[in-house]
Amino acid sequence: MIENFLKILVCDDSMLIRKKLKEVLKSCGCNNILEAANGQEAIDIYKESKPDLVFMDIIMPLKNGIEAVYEIIEFDKDAKVVMASSAGTKEHVKQAIKAGAFEFVQKPWEKEQINKIILNIK
Amino acid sequence: MFSQYFGQYLLTEKYLTDEQLKIALEYQQSVRLKLGVLAINAGYMNSQQANQVHQMQSKVDKRFGELAVEAGYIKEEQIEELLSSQKFGHLLLAQALIDKNYMSLEKFEQAIYEYKKKYNISEGQFELLQSDDVDEIINVYVNLEDEKYEIEVKQYISLFMRNLIRFIDPEIYTKKITKFEEFKTKCVVSQKIKNSINFMTYINAEQDVFLKIASRYAEEELAIVDEMAKDSVGEFLNLNNGLYLVGMSNKGVELDMEPQSVCFEKKIGSAYVLPIELPFGKMELIISTI
Repeated sequence: MIENFLKILVCDDSMLIRKKLKEVLKSCGCNNILEAANGQEAIDIYKESKPDLVFMDIIMPLKNGIEAVYEIIEFDKDAKVVMASSAGTKEHVKQAIKAGAFEFVQKPWEKEQINKIILNIK
Repeated sequence: MFSQYFGQYLLTEKYLTDEQLKIALEYQQSVRLKLGVLAINAGYMNSQQANQVHQMQSKVDKRFGELAVEAGYIKEEQIEELLSSQKFGHLLLAQALIDKNYMSLEKFEQAIYEYKKKYNISEGQFELLQSDDVDEIINVYVNLEDEKYEIEVKQYISLFMRNLIRFIDPEIYTKKITKFEEFKTKCVVSQKIKNSINFMTYINAEQDVFLKIASRYAEEELAIVDEMAKDSVGEFLNLNNGLYLVGMSNKGVELDMEPQSVCFEKKIGSAYVLPIELPFGKMELIISTI
């Protein structure tokens, strides 16, 4: 099972969302999960651990998700980032894609959506 | 939902006592049928489809009927038919009051007449109120006449009420909105919506109610107001505000928002305070237009 080997970074300032997303990822067979609570933490962890996939919120303190995606893509042009936000406005989706995210998930997400993304990564 | 408002009117006008209203509302709730149940019963949808629509409802700000039609599970006219049998929740309330001898038919007729007159409700509006149309309920009961952003604030309140119904509890109703020059909060989370329209939004409640809201949204029993409880209520506000931004974006207005924050026992300057009654206590939605 390849998902067992996927290293996934979950970045959201909400500990509840991180907890819920981790539960969903574990139920999809992904157990190697890293956590960040803001954009800057995500960049630091990405550079250190180079995860296979990143779930990134947008509205966060210190550094927002869009800025973080720019820096992650600058460091690794092949980085796979999924934006996951409740604020899926046209402008945010446009900015996320421009920054280099390959997918936008509107919160609240469903388990099936996350599962589909994991399957596509494999 | 509408029967709660009508029930409160009966209480205020002394048609009923607190206890009588409580008993009648419980009775009404026990016999009211949900649209999903009606659709399955009529053979228009199966349970799997109804569950899928319920799941979709937690994701998008749309009604059960709308989503079911979009998914091709049911036809528009079938929804209309079901809705007409779901209406008149207040009549179930009235039936309970009459059956229990709390009110006569004549008194009920008089109360309905006075009620429409007091709130200046047209027949068309009355139809919408009876089908628990949240937008119309907020339009009738939330008075923001002198507010520059009256439409936007009402849209915000309607969305908030729909999300409260979806994620926290379906049995809610608003009390009179009041503009305060200064309001002292208890347990509060806040978030700023900004750009061409600027709102500060707050959820405020006493500790026990705050904890209950947090538990309902987190889908787990939280025992104390700790970081997880604060985070849960903050995330509920964040989700609501995110969906508001999406709705405004679809209308061509691009707004943004700041991360939510938690600050207890804080004084808020000039703001609208909307008390919302939940079955387990009272909370306030506070909006300050900047």
